[in-house]
Amino acid sequence: MRGTHLGEFEELVLLAVAALNDNAYAVVVKSEIEEKADRKVNISAIHTALYRLEEKGFLESSVGGATKTRGGKSKRFFKVTAYGFKSLREAQSLRQSFWSVIPQLSTQK
Amino acid sequence: MKQQQPPILLRKLLKRIIAHEIYDEVEGDLAELYQERLHEMSVARAKWRYFIDVLCSLRNFNLKRKLKFYNPLVMYKNYFKITFRNLLKYKGYSFINIFGLALGMASCLLILLFVNNELSFDGFHEKKANIYRLDEVQSFGAVSEQKVALSMYPMGPNLLADYPEITDFTRYWTLGRTLVQYKDQSHYTENLVRVDTSFLKMFDFQMIEGNRYSVFDEPNNLILSETLAKRIFGDENPIGQVIKTGEGDENQIKITGVFADVPDNSHLQFDALTSTKLWDSEDRRNGWGSNYLNTYLQLANNTDVEKLEAKFDDFLVKYMGEEVLEFYSLFLQPLSDVHLGSMDITHDYNNHKKFARSSVNIFLILAFFVLLIASINFMNLSTARAATRSREVGVRKSIGAYKGQITGQFMMESIMLSFIALIIAFLLSFAAIGPLNGIIDRNLELSFFFQPLHLVLVLAIAIFIGFLSGVYPALVMSGFNTVMALKGSGMKAGKSFFRNALVVFQYAIAIAIIIGTVLATQQLNYMQNLDLGFKKDLVVTVNMYNDTNSKYELFKTELRNQSNITDVTATTQRLGNNLHQTSMQYRADTALINGSSSFVVVDNNFMDFFEMEILEGRALSDQYANDKAGLSFVVNETLAKELGAGDREVLGMPFHFGGNDPLGTIVGVVKDFSYNKLNLKVEPLFMSQQPWGWSEVDVKLRADKLQEGLAEIEAVWSTLYPQRPFEYQFLDDHIDKMYQSEQQLTKVISILSVLAIIIASLGLFGLASFTVKQRLKEMGIRKVLGASVSQIVMILSKKFTALVLIAFIISAPITYYMMDQWLASYANSIGIGIGIFLIVGLGSWLIALLTVSLQSYRVASSNPVETLRIE
Repeated sequence: MRGTHLGEFEELVLLAVAALNDNAYAVVVKSEIEEKADRKVNISAIHTALYRLEEKGFLESSVGGATKTRGGKSKRFFKVTAYGFKSLREAQSLRQSFWSVIPQLSTQK
Repeated sequence: MKQQQPPILLRKLLKRIIAHEIYDEVEGDLAELYQERLHEMSVARAKWRYFIDVLCSLRNFNLKRKLKFYNPLVMYKNYFKITFRNLLKYKGYSFINIFGLALGMASCLLILLFVNNELSFDGFHEKKANIYRLDEVQSFGAVSEQKVALSMYPMGPNLLADYPEITDFTRYWTLGRTLVQYKDQSHYTENLVRVDTSFLKMFDFQMIEGNRYSVFDEPNNLILSETLAKRIFGDENPIGQVIKTGEGDENQIKITGVFADVPDNSHLQFDALTSTKLWDSEDRRNGWGSNYLNTYLQLANNTDVEKLEAKFDDFLVKYMGEEVLEFYSLFLQPLSDVHLGSMDITHDYNNHKKFARSSVNIFLILAFFVLLIASINFMNLSTARAATRSREVGVRKSIGAYKGQITGQFMMESIMLSFIALIIAFLLSFAAIGPLNGIIDRNLELSFFFQPLHLVLVLAIAIFIGFLSGVYPALVMSGFNTVMALKGSGMKAGKSFFRNALVVFQYAIAIAIIIGTVLATQQLNYMQNLDLGFKKDLVVTVNMYNDTNSKYELFKTELRNQSNITDVTATTQRLGNNLHQTSMQYRADTALINGSSSFVVVDNNFMDFFEMEILEGRALSDQYANDKAGLSFVVNETLAKELGAGDREVLGMPFHFGGNDPLGTIVGVVKDFSYNKLNLKVEPLFMSQQPWGWSEVDVKLRADKLQEGLAEIEAVWSTLYPQRPFEYQFLDDHIDKMYQSEQQLTKVISILSVLAIIIASLGLFGLASFTVKQRLKEMGIRKVLGASVSQIVMILSKKFTALVLIAFIISAPITYYMMDQWLASYANSIGIGIGIFLIVGLGSWLIALLTVSLQSYRVASSNPVETLRIE
């Protein structure tokens, strides 16, 4: 489907949100990705991805949980939508279908 | 430990970068990161990293959270609902508000319709831009210079031959009412006109049958209007039929075409056309010097009209000799100017419903002002009502409405009301258009507004009015302080200066319009009742024709024998028209002097019949042989002054028409009488009896026996002239008709001025009631403390009295100046008295006072317990 194509980074962010369950907001998503993928990400890139994913309908969000460290500003919690999960699975099965065609390569290595 | 905040400057920068809706979250995230880093690194490094984050956030400059459930329709629905609830909650004010605006709009619509109709005159001719009417300026001796819509028979063809810029011409020469016979039936054609064959090529009158290029091929060809063809021929095919205009072969006329009835918005009106060929004699072709028809010229594209007009003097000299320039000059009048720009042109007989462009402009200005008054009302009432809606504004603001949203809401509301007003305005116009058409003698149709383009235009204007009158109240309301608004005291009393100014403005306009109307009406009445110098009452005019003139003496004697007819006379020109000019000769001392003057040929009892005052000598009379022989002349005062220059004796002076030796003598001087419109001054005039045939017989009837008298004339007419139907017109009707344009103008203006004051009062009424309501508690307290009803009414009315007074002071001098200018254009005009200003000023004050008192009295007489209890 054109227009709803998941970029590599976007897929990563989406997976992170899914993994974080109900506690996914920008800062946590950033540290999750940095930890799992072992790469440095700027917070602004996370913001871009999150809001874009929401716009595309992969994520939904709600506001809450202001803390003192945030200067009293609330967090925006993201949640993967059913459509988001479907897209993640499709991406996974797409890869899987390629892997099933090239088993010898994986064994030769 | 004190919480370490990220650098304030960077936060401010971030606020500029990130969209308003998501700023909170983003800033929170960045702040959280900053706090985390404070634990891991130095403050400076953390600040640096924060700075990098802010910079990187530039990429999110365009990022906006798309609200998933953002549905503006819900809000709009709410706006609508609130609007209607408010309308219904304050029915009285809503009515005043909307109805006032609707009245203004309706009058504006109708005026626009009328103006459009006036401007559409002669607009259907494709070549209109190149068609001009050839007019003359005549200056005969003592007669003041006059523009006349007349030209000479040979002018057209010779102009065409001499000047290449002129590509075509047509003459328009009326034959008037003509009797035609078909089989055994006689019919009148209302207006048979002789034109050149090019007429139908220049003017786009629509042909139904017959070819417009060949219908006048034969000299005796004639084409008819559809209606006339139906009347004469019924269902027969008129083409090729022969009708008779008299005995003899030359009067056998063949019908070659039928044209659609001439539309009302054409200055030329005719129901039958024939070509000039039958009349085109050698004498006529050389008939320079007598004016009796209209000539229309078609010019080549891009002709410099002024340059062409400059050549006309040479043209006149070429054909009529050097001295002609003393009497004539020619000018061209664009076709588009003929209907609206001919008020200063006399002898303008073929100008249907001629109207003054200045009157059209007055209408437009008035319509604009009436609409303005209505819009101001609308604005004022909405602003005043703002107070009652301050709580609503407070609630909206506290749950997150932006200022722009509140403004938008109230703008939308006012545009909506303006739409409702427009619909009502259309209904009002629909109801009013019939009577209006009767008053102004036009056939206006509202369907004009339902053409797509016009409809869009009208809607756009309605939106514009809604917008303009909504913008101030909307800005006022959206500017309410939320907390104050919730308390219900959003409006400060001191802010009403703007509203007061508007009321003053409204009243100033209304007062000006009313004073203007009263003065204009007075002037018109004054002119119509002015002593004309002759008695026009009870006089019936009957047209005479060649075939009826032979029996004139018999007709006269028979009429005089009737019991209800007191006198009979005859004339060649009708009083009330501008009289024709001719040349004259007289012998003063021993010199023979040539001159020119207006003249009218009359029967010898004419002066007695119209009870004109003889200043010197005697009136014409049948007792004198010279009078009967056409050798006696009576001159008017103005001509006597000219002839008697240098103390010459006027009575007994040898005098005659030009071209003859002065064989006749002047026998009397008659006091000046106004044969023309009273805004023109009396010109030199002489009268005598000549055996030239009459164009009308005047019959004076016994008062209160008008019907019987008319029946007697008809009986005599039918016995003597069985071939012609009897027709008549009362002379005073004819004279009143001269003022038709002015009468229509004053009637419409009167209606508009009444509307203006009604609308202004409606507004004041609404405003007063609101002011009163706001001061309810104050009045309650005053009453408890012992104020009387009249004192309270006084307090409340004082302010409005002041407003009306200021309005009067502003508008009175302006009105005085403008009306003074207008009256100066009349030769006989009324003076502007102080009285009228006082009466109108007092009147409008009383109306305002009454309006306000109605409201204040209600408050003043109410029980203070009631008013003070409200919280």
